[in-house]
Amino acid sequence: MTVSRRQLLKIAALATASAGSLPLSGCESITSSASKWLGEGIPAKVGVASGAAVDPDFHFLSRATYGLWPGDLDYLKKLGRDKWLDEQLNYRQIDDRACDLRARRFETLWLDPGTCFEYKKPVLRDELVRHMLLRAVYSKRQLYEVMVGFWSDHLNIDVGKGDAIYAKATDDRTVVRAHAFGRFQDLIAASAKSAAMLIYLDGKENRSAAHPTAKNIPNENYARELLELHTMGVDGGYTQGDVYEVARCLTGWRIHTPWQRGKVYFEPSEHDDGAKLVLGKAIAAGGGEHDLDAVLDIVCKHKSTARHIATKLLQHFVSEEPPAAMVDRVAAVFKKSDGDIPSLLRAIFRDEQFDQFASTKIKRPFHFIASSLRSLAADTYAHSSLTEYLNRMGHAPFQYPTPDGYPDQSSYWLSTLLWRWNFALSVCSNKVPEVTVQLAELATAVGALEQDKSSDKSEESEKNESFHRPGTVSSPQLDRMFAHFVGRLPTKLERKTFFEYLAQSKKDVRPELVGLILSSPAFQRC
Amino acid sequence: MASPQDYSRRAFLRKLAFADEAHLGTVNKSLVCIFLRGGADTLNMLVPYGNDDYYKLRPNIAIKSPSRGGPAAALKLDDLYGFHPKMAALLPIYREGRLGMVQAVGTDNFSGSHFEAQDQVEHGESCGHSLGGGWLGRHLASRSIGQQTPLSAVAIGTALPESLRGAPSASVLNSIEEIKLQAPDGQSQAIAKALAQLYGSEVALLAEPSKTTLDLLGRVEKLQGKTYHPANGAVYPDNAFGKGLKEIARLLKGGVGLEVAALDLNGWDTHFFQGAEAGLQADSIEQLANGLAAFDRDLGSARGAVTTLVITEFGRRSYENSSMGTDHGRGFTVFAIGDRIAGGQVHGPLPHLTRGQQMDLLGPSGLAVQFDYRSALCEILVRALDNRRIENVFPGFKGQEIGLVKRAIV
Repeated sequence: MTVSRRQLLKIAALATASAGSLPLSGCESITSSASKWLGEGIPAKVGVASGAAVDPDFHFLSRATYGLWPGDLDYLKKLGRDKWLDEQLNYRQIDDRACDLRARRFETLWLDPGTCFEYKKPVLRDELVRHMLLRAVYSKRQLYEVMVGFWSDHLNIDVGKGDAIYAKATDDRTVVRAHAFGRFQDLIAASAKSAAMLIYLDGKENRSAAHPTAKNIPNENYARELLELHTMGVDGGYTQGDVYEVARCLTGWRIHTPWQRGKVYFEPSEHDDGAKLVLGKAIAAGGGEHDLDAVLDIVCKHKSTARHIATKLLQHFVSEEPPAAMVDRVAAVFKKSDGDIPSLLRAIFRDEQFDQFASTKIKRPFHFIASSLRSLAADTYAHSSLTEYLNRMGHAPFQYPTPDGYPDQSSYWLSTLLWRWNFALSVCSNKVPEVTVQLAELATAVGALEQDKSSDKSEESEKNESFHRPGTVSSPQLDRMFAHFVGRLPTKLERKTFFEYLAQSKKDVRPELVGLILSSPAFQRC
Repeated sequence: MASPQDYSRRAFLRKLAFADEAHLGTVNKSLVCIFLRGGADTLNMLVPYGNDDYYKLRPNIAIKSPSRGGPAAALKLDDLYGFHPKMAALLPIYREGRLGMVQAVGTDNFSGSHFEAQDQVEHGESCGHSLGGGWLGRHLASRSIGQQTPLSAVAIGTALPESLRGAPSASVLNSIEEIKLQAPDGQSQAIAKALAQLYGSEVALLAEPSKTTLDLLGRVEKLQGKTYHPANGAVYPDNAFGKGLKEIARLLKGGVGLEVAALDLNGWDTHFFQGAEAGLQADSIEQLANGLAAFDRDLGSARGAVTTLVITEFGRRSYENSSMGTDHGRGFTVFAIGDRIAGGQVHGPLPHLTRGQQMDLLGPSGLAVQFDYRSALCEILVRALDNRRIENVFPGFKGQEIGLVKRAIV
């Protein structure tokens, strides 16, 4: 959908005018209608998969996005996967104004750490979480957002530690989002000098000879995680001696306080400027702040790093246990492209084995929530009534306590089923406060409600009624609704279960049916 | 006035209630396992004030000797050890002889990695020899008495800890009030039936957790809707840890068959400015001590059946680092509370405290490990929880005698 410049100005004027005078909800309702003009609504007609097995394109989108917005499947089929990937990787060219209208409202996300100190911690945390969820649900730059999530886990920072929260928005902008589609080593270099990371892993306290009785004992915390988690992996072949030497190389990075509070700088007098030996490679004395680059040159180009990153990406996008051949292929691309992230993603999504893994993964809770909202085309501003579900399932962004980030293994998340069911059942009945779904509109678009061709209004409304009167859902209607969410037709047993449930139901069956579909094992998979 | 008929009816009801309890109450021994995440610096909890090296190695963060007096000094236990001043609430339990410690316990993992060490401790295995499942999971699985309920094992929090992996059933929750199905029109029975059918046909992964969840729903309905009043004037600290312990007490006293409860206390990775009598670590210690003391008091007469274990993944170095914290080390102190614990003492001598600079390059130094951590776990499972198949829990492991748990009188 294209929007003329004049239309956009009108929207902007409305939004601006309302922000000052109306309560937030008023502002939100205007934003919601504006967003629909910008293409956030439900298309009039939505194609769904029609096979017994998961549609390969549905599988592709399930992995490359936070779930399929109504119409996404049609768009991919029209464009083809390669062009779709090109478009997504060229993310800056994608018009994301509708999402911006919802997500740019959080002012603390655009501030430097020093200014963030003016805010209370819960305000900063809520804005970070809401922004992340709203981008995941509404951004048209879906693959980019998925990678932002991936790197946020890979370079995990728990905002609950120390003052990390004041610097996390800056980390999000200048590390994760700036380099999500960049070169791996640039991402790590930015992270190494990020105030939030220097706080979270104590890098700012890593200094030489700062204490008379503790001469040359560096703080190894960041150095260890840099090797173990961010680059080479725990079996990457480094020794405890390497951890110690890397820690020496990284001494002297500090954070300003109180002037220019939160700004990172290098303090030569606190740097251990002697010669070092990292993974058998000598780093000459006197390197100063360039020791950091020297270390990253060694570890980011190490073959273990290529394998570690290839494996983690494949575990995220393909399978918890990716085939060795796939790891080899992606690791080779890492080496050849010097860690060019778009090249890695192309290699993964174009891999000959990619399609074999349809619905073999279990969505993590964040993905489950985002994909529910996307496939329902829900209207939300991610208030606490919604984000509380993420807390409940232990998956609120930036709140994983340890530096390994939220696990990508299904088994870790299996105890969250009750909360998933409760979210699904509630959201479909519009019982999650401040989240709105329009099931009638969705049902019409996917053809789960027969579209009426006659112009007789009363007849039409009667037909509309028929969907949600007990026992009147036809099998093809159920099939199309199910296929919209899951990418395939229901099995005999699934169909039988839904009909049995509907048969005993007394009221509007639509929310219950969709709630059950979202609660079903098929929708937990991706 | 009650007629004979009324009386018999009441007696009948009471009998019913007892029958129900008998069914649920087949569990007569329970374990509460508290994991201090991050590698706790136990040298500042069980303070070796009688050792000069302790003060030499920790010029800024050592806890003062009891002889110095005042609120910053250690609380004297004997001529060598004192408790951190924030552990005052545990002194009475120590003096009763129900709180015991084991010194310099650890793993054979030299990596210094939180994740490897935590996994290893929770899995109950040797470094590099994966056994499958967690030690608590295998303990529960080895007790095939056919009476396990979805509440046999409970983890307080949002995720199942590694230690409970492999348990026949385990539930993760913050409060039992949370456990219900929010059906649109209150038709939770029909929804539950549909879910059971949908998940029943799952071949992998999802079938088991779904069945467990649905069983649990029916079970906890009975405990819900009543306000819980801790007994004996116990006051739990108003934080997540205190609330977690309160829920565990509620479940234990509710007789729902709770055998193992797991609860985490985070924030022990004190690389930076850990503080001494006050500060980062002191706050954590206070939470731990006050929580445990309230829990013990609240359990009252039920405490005879409950053993509480406090464990971490590794200790920290004997010496402080340049940022007045401590880096990853090796041995740590295990704390255990219960009637079966040989308490009022510290088991095992204090190893030599050293800077061990040379060792650092080989692996994290700190307290040299004198007891494999599994020796302590074995004693607790065998002697306090009557596990008769310990070889299924720690296959191939031969434990050392520590004496932490008293032998049962046969």
